[in-house]
Amino acid sequence: MSNGERDYFDPLILARLSNLYLKARWVVEGIMSGIHRSRSKGFSVEFEEHREYSPGDEIRRIDWKALGKFDRYFIKEYEDETNLRAYLLLDTSASMDYASNGVTKFDYGCVLVASLAYLILKQQDAAGLVTFSNRIESFIPPKARRGYLMEILRALEQQRPAGETNVGQILLEIAGKMKRRGLVILVSDLLDEPDEILKGLRLFRFKGNDVIVFHLLDAAELDLPFDGNVLFEDLEETSLKVTTDPQSIRKTYRKVVEEFVDHVRKECRENSIDYQLLPTSTPLDHALVSYLGWRG
Amino acid sequence: MSLFFLHPLYLLALAATTVPLLIHLLNRRKVKRIRFPAVRFILLSQRRISRSYRLRHWILLALRTFAVLLLVLLLAHPIFQTGVGLFAGGGPLSAVILLDNSLSMKWSGGSEDFKQAKEAARLLISSLNDGDRAAVVPTNGFDKSPIRLKGEKEILARDVEAVQVSAGTADFSVALARAYELLREPAAQREIWLLTDMALTGWENFTIAALGQHDPLIPLKILRIGGKEEPLNAALKEVKMRGHGVGVGLPIHLEASVVNFGDREIKDLLVQLYIDERNREQKLISVPPKGEVGVGFMLQLARPGEHQGYVALKKDGLAGNPISYFTLQAQDKLRVLVVDGDPQTALVQSETFFLARALNPAGERDSSLFLPTVIIPEGMGSVALDAYQVVALCNVSAVPDAFLARLREYLHKGGGLLLFLGDRVETENYNARLFDSSPPVLPARIREKRTLSEAAAEKIGEVETAHPALQLFADERLRDSLQSAKVHGYFRTDRAGGSTLLSLAGGAPLLVEKRVGPGRVLFFTTAADRDWSDLPLKTAYLPLLQSLVSYVAGGKRGAMDPGVIVGNPKTFTLPPSYVGKSLQVIKPDRKERGIIFAAAGEKASAAFQENDLAGIYRLASAAADIGGAAQMYPVNSPFLESRLEAIGEQELKRKLEPIRAEILDREALEKGGTRTDLSLSLLFLLIATLASEGWLAQRF
Repeated sequence: MSNGERDYFDPLILARLSNLYLKARWVVEGIMSGIHRSRSKGFSVEFEEHREYSPGDEIRRIDWKALGKFDRYFIKEYEDETNLRAYLLLDTSASMDYASNGVTKFDYGCVLVASLAYLILKQQDAAGLVTFSNRIESFIPPKARRGYLMEILRALEQQRPAGETNVGQILLEIAGKMKRRGLVILVSDLLDEPDEILKGLRLFRFKGNDVIVFHLLDAAELDLPFDGNVLFEDLEETSLKVTTDPQSIRKTYRKVVEEFVDHVRKECRENSIDYQLLPTSTPLDHALVSYLGWRG
Repeated sequence: MSLFFLHPLYLLALAATTVPLLIHLLNRRKVKRIRFPAVRFILLSQRRISRSYRLRHWILLALRTFAVLLLVLLLAHPIFQTGVGLFAGGGPLSAVILLDNSLSMKWSGGSEDFKQAKEAARLLISSLNDGDRAAVVPTNGFDKSPIRLKGEKEILARDVEAVQVSAGTADFSVALARAYELLREPAAQREIWLLTDMALTGWENFTIAALGQHDPLIPLKILRIGGKEEPLNAALKEVKMRGHGVGVGLPIHLEASVVNFGDREIKDLLVQLYIDERNREQKLISVPPKGEVGVGFMLQLARPGEHQGYVALKKDGLAGNPISYFTLQAQDKLRVLVVDGDPQTALVQSETFFLARALNPAGERDSSLFLPTVIIPEGMGSVALDAYQVVALCNVSAVPDAFLARLREYLHKGGGLLLFLGDRVETENYNARLFDSSPPVLPARIREKRTLSEAAAEKIGEVETAHPALQLFADERLRDSLQSAKVHGYFRTDRAGGSTLLSLAGGAPLLVEKRVGPGRVLFFTTAADRDWSDLPLKTAYLPLLQSLVSYVAGGKRGAMDPGVIVGNPKTFTLPPSYVGKSLQVIKPDRKERGIIFAAAGEKASAAFQENDLAGIYRLASAAADIGGAAQMYPVNSPFLESRLEAIGEQELKRKLEPIRAEILDREALEKGGTRTDLSLSLLFLLIATLASEGWLAQRF
């Protein structure tokens, strides 16, 4: 991939784009330009709504019966029926509102989710969105119709990171709301009890869902690159404070984080869950390629 | 074993050892606040490493502090010393060896102490290395020859040999000031060694301010010389004479004071009196601890003139000044011709009864300095005046012409005249013979007689105590006695031509002096007996008459000279003909030193400074030439120098503050010792510490 192409996925460049749609399109078009466009996998269509004819619409899609009734031209809109229902789960807790390089985990997650929704819908699959902190903030069930992307994007744009995380509990709740099996894509920093999280993920699997976990972490969370005497205050639990010399604990800290990541990764593997660690400095194509790899 | 520093000023930088701790505390106070999502991981990490982290943290802090400490110590250049650590290691040395040669070094331990001090000095010199320099400075008399630092051990050893015990007290202020002056030149190491018996006397007047400019950082090592056993420590404090005057054939009462400085009683102490090198008397005494005993001696001198003497203490193992020198100026008896102008059959009513008794109270020939011979006025024509030193005329009515001529001649030969008036005196005769004729003998014209009732009698007012004849009356009791005398009969006089020595309360002269050639005349305006005053009944009468007779005789009353203390000057006063002349002073060691006389008022005066030995000093001149002045004088050692009591270590250190003084025993010096320069070891240790610190810091 050339440098020019890489710029499509640079989180810092994407951050300059204010419109989430543009961001998603930017990312997806960037990656799709390099691969063959796949055709729709759906095998049936379902009428959804009428709309007035406008020049350019196909003549064959005019509803002649409606013309007879109303003496006006209507076009019949159908919802594609697909065999993939993707649930995009975005963690919006306060811990996601952290950036050491200018892009918060939340922003990164939003673009990632938007890109995935764009990609999924573009491929005629159904995409839904669930945002959550320690409760479900919004729930948009997966649909494959056109224009649904804007609904998802609007929901994302209205969301602000706040509140504490309770990933494990939320996953169990979402799993209860899912009526049909599909693909669950979790975008979170997973800063919660790993066993609770895995419990929720395992429930998704138990219900026959495929699960992809995009584990977002800031580079500073991985490396703890601070110096001097620092008073760390937790973004979610404000009473949680600690004063330390980061330099003196850096090595151990890295080991602790690594152990955490390894534990989650190992558990995911054992439960056939795709796990992808995504530092926020990682270009977004990594995540999309990972998804496409699974989709392919 | 001890540790000292060549550049101790750097030790002030030890305060810098707190810098790592301060930085640590400062960093702890300077906290950055960061809002962070993964605080739980931080907590977990901290819990895991908490114990080892803290341990490493403190080790790191300790290493940093230790490194600063090592650096400061390295700069201060530490030297480790075992024993007294003779001069070895630490770079070229400049040392001054102060050798206490005060008299106490001779007395303590029977001269052994001074030998030991010299041996110690030789040992120090032998320990000098190539490049080291030293100087030997005696505490007394070092100003006689130039002293400089030198590296030749042989010459330094000779300097030690040349130092002799002096007769005075050590002047540590001057000696130490000289030592600091010698060490002004920079050197890697500088030291002062003081070899002393630490006798208290030498340090009593010592003040650090007297040292002047000095570097208190130069180590002062005081080597205590002398045994730890306390010797029998007694000394002669002084020899005094009791009574007035020293005359040929008269009993002389001397009293020697012996002081025991020790805590033990001294028994069977032999005290001997020597006069003119002959043992005249000796006594055995006991002196209580810390006590003083007076030992009395009686003696008579067979010939007039100067005599030398001393009192000596003798006992084995006795430490302290055993000799006190003195000289005696013995006067021959003064023959006094007393002319009684109003003789009575009852002696007590005689005009001269009180006068003769005052001059010879016991009435015996050998009991007084004065030999009064009383005659009546009829004998004046035939008496040979030259047989007498003084003539006293008491209430003699008139002076015969033949006697007057002989009296004038007598006065011109230096004779003395004591003149009392009375009710028989014919004033016209006196004025005509003694005042109006030339040269006048009377100091003033005699006027009318004044007789008062006993109730209205006048007391004696002014007493010219500055006059040599009345110096005795500087004593208040004697003067009070004299001034209590009441005079109710006297002759008025015109204004006195001589000096008035005594006046009545009303201002009238009572005693007037006049010089007639070399002769002296003392003129009383009242009578010699009780007829006109009660003066003869007063205590002051005897000393007054004896003093006046001695004065008009022109000579001194014999006396004892206790002399001067070693180190103090002796002033000679001679007739003015000696101005510009040089005389030799012969010291007790037979060495002669010249002194030159300069004008001092109407006299020639010279001071002899070199009284550095105890003993008898002589002025080499013929007695006649120097106007009767004493040719001998004694010089005695300072009494307190005999006190061998040592100053306490703490007190000495306190006196020497802020000098870094260390007090050592002689045994420690003999055992020797070594010095090791710790700089290199400290440097390696510092490098190792810094490496450890670096390694440990990386581990964090």
